[in-house]
Amino acid sequence: MRKIKVTPYKILAGVILAVLAVFFLFPLYWILTGSVKTAAVINDAVPQWFPMSPTMDNYERLFDNPALLWLFNSVAMAVLSMILTCVTAAMAGYALAKKRFIGRTILFSIFICAMALPKQVILIPLLREMSFLHLHDTMWAVILPTVGWPFGVFLMKQFSENIPGELLEAARIDGAGEARTFTEIALPIIKPGIGALAIFTFINCWNDYFLQLIMLNSRTKLTISLGIAKLQAEMSTDFGLIMAGAALAAVPIITIFLLFQKYFTRGITMGAVKG
Amino acid sequence: MNKRMKPTGMQKALIRRETISAYLFLLPALIFFVGFVIVPMVMCLVTSFFNYSMTEFAFVGFSNYVEMFQDEIFIKALQNTILIVVVAVPVVTVFSLWVSSVIYKMNGAVCSFFRCIFYLPVVTGTVAVTVVWKWMFNKYTGLFNYVLGETGIIDSDISWLGDERTAIWCIILILLTTSVGQPVVLYVSALGNVDESLIEAAQVDGATSRQVFWKIKWPQIMPTTLYILVITTINSFQCYALIQLLTSGGPNHSTETIMYYIYYQAFKLYRYGYGNAMGVILAIIIAVFSAVQFKVAGRNND
Amino acid sequence: MKNWKKWMSLLLCAGMMTGLSACSGGGESADGGNDGGSSAGTQITLWTYPIGSWGDSATVDGIVAAFNEQYPDISVSVEYLDYTSGDDQVTAAIEAGTAPDIIMEGPERLVTTWGAAGKMADLSDLWDDEALSDISAVSEAVVNACKSSDGAYYEYPLCMNAHCMAINYEVFEEADALQYIDEETRTWTTEDFGNALQALKDAGVETTGIVYCGGQGGDQGTRALAKNLYSAEFTNAEHTEWTMNSEAGIKGLQQLVDWDQAGLLSHDAGLQAADELQLFANGTVAMSFAWNASNESNYAEQIDFTAYAMTFPSDDGVPELDGGIYGFGIFDNGDEAKIDAAKQFIEFVCDDETQGPQSVIASGFFPVRSSFGNVYEGTDQEERMTVFNSMMPYLGDYYNVTPGWADQRTAWWNMLQNIFNGNDVTESVNAYVETSTAATQAASGN
Repeated sequence: MRKIKVTPYKILAGVILAVLAVFFLFPLYWILTGSVKTAAVINDAVPQWFPMSPTMDNYERLFDNPALLWLFNSVAMAVLSMILTCVTAAMAGYALAKKRFIGRTILFSIFICAMALPKQVILIPLLREMSFLHLHDTMWAVILPTVGWPFGVFLMKQFSENIPGELLEAARIDGAGEARTFTEIALPIIKPGIGALAIFTFINCWNDYFLQLIMLNSRTKLTISLGIAKLQAEMSTDFGLIMAGAALAAVPIITIFLLFQKYFTRGITMGAVKG
Repeated sequence: MNKRMKPTGMQKALIRRETISAYLFLLPALIFFVGFVIVPMVMCLVTSFFNYSMTEFAFVGFSNYVEMFQDEIFIKALQNTILIVVVAVPVVTVFSLWVSSVIYKMNGAVCSFFRCIFYLPVVTGTVAVTVVWKWMFNKYTGLFNYVLGETGIIDSDISWLGDERTAIWCIILILLTTSVGQPVVLYVSALGNVDESLIEAAQVDGATSRQVFWKIKWPQIMPTTLYILVITTINSFQCYALIQLLTSGGPNHSTETIMYYIYYQAFKLYRYGYGNAMGVILAIIIAVFSAVQFKVAGRNND
Repeated sequence: MKNWKKWMSLLLCAGMMTGLSACSGGGESADGGNDGGSSAGTQITLWTYPIGSWGDSATVDGIVAAFNEQYPDISVSVEYLDYTSGDDQVTAAIEAGTAPDIIMEGPERLVTTWGAAGKMADLSDLWDDEALSDISAVSEAVVNACKSSDGAYYEYPLCMNAHCMAINYEVFEEADALQYIDEETRTWTTEDFGNALQALKDAGVETTGIVYCGGQGGDQGTRALAKNLYSAEFTNAEHTEWTMNSEAGIKGLQQLVDWDQAGLLSHDAGLQAADELQLFANGTVAMSFAWNASNESNYAEQIDFTAYAMTFPSDDGVPELDGGIYGFGIFDNGDEAKIDAAKQFIEFVCDDETQGPQSVIASGFFPVRSSFGNVYEGTDQEERMTVFNSMMPYLGDYYNVTPGWADQRTAWWNMLQNIFNGNDVTESVNAYVETSTAATQAASGN
């Protein structure tokens, strides 16, 4: 480790970072503590910084709902989307970046343009489609559009730009087939990119509240995001209950993120953006 | 790898082979993309020319588009959306670049710690984050009024989400906290991958740290910057869940965004055609913004 | 070697196909189960909005179990909607062709929205002479609300209630403001109300009441408050025009603004009824404009003062309360067997001699059938419900069936935000009426 000079700027930066850290951590702290506070404490105008008399009551009421099932649904949906997206996007991104083929430019432009289109707009047509495929109110109605979203392809194309052409050429001269070139030369190089795409897809799918809302009705098929939103009723806002739901939604995914973060975030750099 | 030569017979065969194999690689992605993005997108474009609702389906030409620009709420939503983008995109980019440039040199654990902190609101989940902010902004039982009141910064409680002057800024604040995570992660990696030998060479030549940043690091992280700009722009334009869960577009349409208004027209009033037309316009606006960013940033890139 | 890529793509395709077929297979097997049941009986779905305990699975499961004792061949699966996203889910389900068979809500949705869109089945055969006369005996308005303009019935009602307001009795007592209410009839005049606000303020009550306008949640309270102050009509009798821009309507809204500016009353564009009720339950505000029998029982645990139900203040002392008429509608999904089964369910739930009153009690409201009498008699809720029952005669016109209702609701809370922000009341109300009228014309143009 190099010796780092301490300058006033660095001290100031450290202080600002510390303040920001508190600011970013606080909502989570407030969710976790809120989830064990009683209604009376929550609704008091004077906030209780630390739950003095913690209660499990909110969680008990939360588990009157099939909350664990919702959590499972969310995870299953996000994991499936993640796997399908990574596989399809890695292959497509590689081809777009490293193959010179007819229609490449136009195809990539279409992918880019499609990213700009707001998802909500295509919901009604998507509904019709899912209904036609008999997939409405199944998790596939959420997964398929998520996988189709061109963002992953775009991202993987950027990563694949980093694959040195000479390596591919060398593999070809050695007589490696297309698939082997891809799996043995390209994949190891873009692996960090796939890691990044995996976590982005997982989180995007997890957070895609509106798509889930529109595509799922059955109580047993809801996701945890939908579940929490549903806990807000018209005639009462039970923050304790909602915080318990939020905690249940947040804690597992944060744990996963903390465990795997070094794999997800190691060595991600974008390739140059070229049309 | 692509040597530009006049295609000979051999070359043509090669191109054909490349094309076939490329499309085989693309096939799985294309199935999903065409099936669940392009097809609905075309349906959306087509139906934007129809008076399309739960009960009706009649061709009306451009009248949805004409109506849109006479619709005061749409104009207001457009203004708000652009305000959000114009504030959020630069702030997110500059903020995450600054944070990353401070933390990337720190030792591994500290760097990871901060990176996680900034990523937390993203992994916590939009809905969970939104509901806790809703509580903190509450006029009577929220934290903000208590803290600001106790410290004497404000005299009387503020209805943060219920006041035209503050509501949109509250939304932008929440949007910022949920938007910087990914850019910070990306910038930290990008800065970590900047060629050390170039930096050292420059330092030997007596370059100041500012010069090192702008002359060496900045060009190398440009692709990351461009990516962040584009993604943040798209996300900010499509800001919806925050509005729906917090303000329903109020007070007095001050937090109405196009995305929310599209949702309102389509799902509350069943005006699918009109909503789709607005969606088409929004897509065009986003595409223009992105294209400009590509042009500007891409030029520096070369 | 070249075969690799073929293998790979083949594998991928095969993988995807299995994936797809597995999922559609999964869907089918669930459906298959239902179809398997259909040889013996029928599978129907019921979606409920949270109307009292009808949003609560323990209660509804009990009702379904009672139904199955008589009709073992019909199995009912239930989903619970909420008022925040429920409408969107129904819209999505209609467009996706997965709408439920039975849905429980009120005429503004069943008749004016989905009924008018041609999505509902006509329930005329449930409305036999006996039902018609029994329900008419309680209120002719209920019958009219459930009937669409083309004469079809899209709702079969179960219960009704009158939305009212509530005051914190102890706070009023302390502020010596009880003199302004008539404890006998639970009514007060606009003048009394103003005096009470002043008395509360003088006694140091920081926030007397809040005109919430952060969204449409519980907007019946703000509507009732504004229109009763000077006895305005919300719509014309034919339900074709919005009339809050009448002299009385503007006067009432202006009065609210004046009180707000004088600090006697508050407004909050960040709150909806749920938030306001919570503040009332905490004791932060001295009155709630979103009260009813069901809310009283929901908040009973949290409230440690006397939540005293009152009617809305009116210049003549005779309020016109906004009502709710809740009942069932059937989505016409094109399957006669299911529609018939759904009708049997509705008939059982609403008309059965023992189940009917139980279904009403589950809602926490009052029966639409006069033959049910007082369903709360002899229960521990009798005393509490007598209070609310005494307000039922004040039930006013059910104008919620006016076409363009959904647009009007949004325009209403936006208009309130406008006038409390200091914009001219007359202008704002006119703009609100204009927006709503345009929607009404568009909706009835079809």
